[in-house]
Amino acid sequence: MGISDVIPVPVAVDEELEKWTIWGRPLTDVWFTTTEKIHEIIDMGPIKNVLNWGRKNSLWFLMQPMGCCGVEMLVFGCPHYDCDRFGIFPRATPRQVDVMIISGYITRKYLPAIKDLWEEMPEPKWVMAIGECAISGGPFYDSYNIINNTDRFFPIDVYVPGCPPRPEKFIEGFRALQEKIKQRKDKRGY
Amino acid sequence: MKTANDVLSALQSAFPGVIEEAKVAPERQLWATVKPERIVEVCKYLRDNHGFDHYSGAVGVDRIDEGLFEVTELLASHGAHKVVALLKVKTPRANPRVKSLTGLYWNANWYEREIWEMLGIDFEGHPELYPLLLPDELVGAWPWRKDFKGYPDVTTGERAIETITPDGYTKYHIPPTQAEIEAGTVPAQRPKYPTFREREEMEIKETSEMILHLGPQHALVPGPFLLDILVDGERVRKAFLDVGYIHKGIEKIMENRTYVQGIPITDRLCYMAALTNNEAYCGAVERLLGIEPPERAQYIRVITQELSRIQSHLLGTAEFLTLIASPVYSPFLYMIIDREDVISCIESVTGARINHSFVRFGGVRNDLPDGFKDMTLDALKMVREKTEEYKELFLSDSIYKRRMEGIGVLSPSEARRLGVSGPPLRASDTPYDMRREDPYLLYKDLDFDVITRKEGDSKARIEVRLDEIIESCYIVEQCLDQIPSGPIMADKVPKRIRPDPGEAYYRVEDHRGEMGFFVVSDGTDKPVKVKARGPVYAYFQALPPLLEGVYIADVVAIAGSMDACTSEVDR
Repeated sequence: MGISDVIPVPVAVDEELEKWTIWGRPLTDVWFTTTEKIHEIIDMGPIKNVLNWGRKNSLWFLMQPMGCCGVEMLVFGCPHYDCDRFGIFPRATPRQVDVMIISGYITRKYLPAIKDLWEEMPEPKWVMAIGECAISGGPFYDSYNIINNTDRFFPIDVYVPGCPPRPEKFIEGFRALQEKIKQRKDKRGY
Repeated sequence: MKTANDVLSALQSAFPGVIEEAKVAPERQLWATVKPERIVEVCKYLRDNHGFDHYSGAVGVDRIDEGLFEVTELLASHGAHKVVALLKVKTPRANPRVKSLTGLYWNANWYEREIWEMLGIDFEGHPELYPLLLPDELVGAWPWRKDFKGYPDVTTGERAIETITPDGYTKYHIPPTQAEIEAGTVPAQRPKYPTFREREEMEIKETSEMILHLGPQHALVPGPFLLDILVDGERVRKAFLDVGYIHKGIEKIMENRTYVQGIPITDRLCYMAALTNNEAYCGAVERLLGIEPPERAQYIRVITQELSRIQSHLLGTAEFLTLIASPVYSPFLYMIIDREDVISCIESVTGARINHSFVRFGGVRNDLPDGFKDMTLDALKMVREKTEEYKELFLSDSIYKRRMEGIGVLSPSEARRLGVSGPPLRASDTPYDMRREDPYLLYKDLDFDVITRKEGDSKARIEVRLDEIIESCYIVEQCLDQIPSGPIMADKVPKRIRPDPGEAYYRVEDHRGEMGFFVVSDGTDKPVKVKARGPVYAYFQALPPLLEGVYIADVVAIAGSMDACTSEVDR
């Protein structure tokens, strides 16, 4: 498709414009663009770094306490540890969050529910496994009801070991996630 | 006041030949084996004539060597006397059937359902034998039986099958593999019964009614559970509770660990009350071993447990305040600030913030550090001042009062019938506290009040918790004044813990109510059975009848004032 198909311009102009490129792509592709094309272009260009800088400094996480680590997660959002200063903030509904923290044991019964929560979250989204249970089953590794390999179900970016990890470790985990987002090395490739 | 021997002689004269192998050990516990066909009559006699109005739970034990299942019913009394009756019923393993006590005690329902789904013992006359904790795939595998082979292989995520329902929802399901079916870990055919969804939809009678789902993930409840309410307009007509979303099988895991390895697992039973769970488990094993901790260790246990009670009540109240006024986050933050100071005191002794594993058989792990007394007294002074301030704020706030007064009222008789314990029971004018009822450690020498309220509503439950914070401060100060020097471990604790064959039941006052551990030993280094009787299990069972007829807006005010801990319900 050329420019002359849409607006009446001399054919010479059309031919000339087809030679022009932007970031290695024909200008006409960019001109008659779609959302996907914009995303492709953003992915190629340095603008992505600016977006990721914004994303990494506003990581809202899902308040979904499941076990002992859930209590430390509550405390992590409060004074003394104060995650607000890193742009990290707890929210109660999956529709408003960027990060899901798996803060405990995933059982056969809870897996469908937690998968639904993950799907309800808008893109871009990340997931962190915090505590031994979320990583490998922890002290309950030989239970009949626990799912050990959480990473088969979720693209986990950061693992924070500990049983439970202290709130400082939560901060450390989030800083690692921020660094990953900044360097564009996260699992889902934002 | 009645003693266990009085009750035993009365039982033996009323039911000659029915009571086998009875004993009284220790002084307030009556152990008896009852013929299975007469258990309902015996319990009815005890309830009507001897004031055993508190059904405290049931324990199922698999005696695979003798080919028997044992079900032990735990009966106690709300203040009439201090005897605990442990009535044992034996049933053959081939065709296990026990008569249900749901006709006598309303709250026997969940305890019997749990034993049915875990051990496969059929309770005759039970109104609804449906799974409670297990997912539907595991029902029929009877995971707590001793011959349950291994655990299902759920380690490969590719096995989750994704289907799109006609409504557009995505469902995940893990089907059993052929190997699992052959090994017997997962039943090939599921027993026929209506699912939770179907059961609640059966209750819809008119087109004006609808079901509202709260959960499993829900803002700020500590752990996932599903509370479905059937509403007609603004009123709740019926409530349904589905638990077991974080069922870990702690009791089965503890059977595969040695006694000492069981202590860290009890922490994770209810992480807010890790120290009292440790105490209940260690107390039961100490009873089996016949040892008693030295005096200094008892003081250290009381100090840490009371500090733990303060932090648990602070967090419970804080969570509740966010529930009833969810945009207002500040009360939560204030109470967490107080809690952090208390946590630092506990951490300086135990070395951990929430999961301590601090109590040992015959003592504690380490001594109080230097400067602990000054640090704790400072923290307690601050906590006491702040708590007085919170109480004053709540009293002066008319919006809070209108939101809370007369909401979710539990009358004393109703509270006893539903089997709740701890602050909700004491808010209903029943001074039932294990520290007085079944004094463990030093509590019989310490000076403290059992806090009660007359109203029984949500406001009273919060007031009881806030007053208990102040009372706990007082207990800790007393202990810090009186604590003697000396050893922190008993002398004759064996290196390898191998208690003599027998059973022990030990109960403590958890932060949330009556917590008991029932430990069965067969002389080896691993327990045959560990049963945790938790307080929140009892609250949760009492929640649906409490929610009937209230407004939708009051559901969180009632459910939150109970201070739930899902992890302990699911175990």
